[in-house]
Amino acid sequence: MIIQVKKFGTTLVSRPSGREAWLAFQPVLNEISAGEDIVVDFAGVAVLTPSWADEFLTPLYNRFDGRVKLLNTDNPSVSASLTILGK
Amino acid sequence: MIRKLISIGETAKLLGVSVDTLRRWDGTGRLLSIRSGPRGHRFYDLSDIEQFTQDQSDIARRWAQSPKGVEPEVEIYCQTRDVFQSRLETLQGKLGRNLPVTVVSLITAVAGEIGNNSFDHNLGNWPDVIGIFFSYSLRERTVILADRGLGILTTLKRVRPELTNAQEALKVAFTETVSGRLPESRGNGLKFVRKVIVDNAFTLYFQTGDAYLYLKQGDEGIVVKPAKTFIRGCFAKIGFEEEK
Repeated sequence: MIIQVKKFGTTLVSRPSGREAWLAFQPVLNEISAGEDIVVDFAGVAVLTPSWADEFLTPLYNRFDGRVKLLNTDNPSVSASLTILGK
Repeated sequence: MIRKLISIGETAKLLGVSVDTLRRWDGTGRLLSIRSGPRGHRFYDLSDIEQFTQDQSDIARRWAQSPKGVEPEVEIYCQTRDVFQSRLETLQGKLGRNLPVTVVSLITAVAGEIGNNSFDHNLGNWPDVIGIFFSYSLRERTVILADRGLGILTTLKRVRPELTNAQEALKVAFTETVSGRLPESRGNGLKFVRKVIVDNAFTLYFQTGDAYLYLKQGDEGIVVKPAKTFIRGCFAKIGFEEEK
């Protein structure tokens, strides 16, 4: 499945909003079939911080170990945040 | 001395505020205009604007270090994260009008990280005034953030009790992945801020307690120095340079 991050907003900055995104997305994540890849698409995201990303991506990686792929990470704040988180 | 006068619209663009805000400031005496022309249009003296932007940094600093806490003026006061998010997006939009996407996204991210850090570490524990001071000048290319929170030493001491002074705490905050919010695992925010500043044509002055650091492009280490003043919470001034 593809997660379009911009659907959570385009200025993704705070921990609470990252946490809320993660919680709100649970019903969708529960429908993912075994072995299916999770593609996280950052197209259209204007600002990302490691705080927001940590609340959303870290639990995603923990839950779907080895199946998470990142796409369109060329925005400077997206790539800098992912680098700091080691993603 | 020859006065250089600019229009109210131009002044609004330079300061990143609306024309209505400038009219209100004129009325309250915060930033006075000069009436000129047959219709008495408002103009501004460039030197007054320069003085005003310098004052913003001083106002933030005085607010943060004052023994008595008072709420800042409404235009620069973000009592909650929601207000901060909305004003941060306004800044992002204004930066986007004439700066490259790298500057817009990274400066917004750095300001967002520092501002939200204040809320993360003081929620429910603000010693007096809750929330943060947030102002910026597009002309001076600076963003100013300040809080009257607990400060980095108090916050980090919860997880690193061996820390004894603000200088040690500030260095740890910018160099190690530790969080004052155990059992949560976090603490990347200021490391991210540091990396972005040193990798780009940006600067950062950051003070907490009686310790400060100054970071600029290309810096490799972190040099924390004793400050002449004491700020219980945090004070940050981010600079982004003119396009070369």
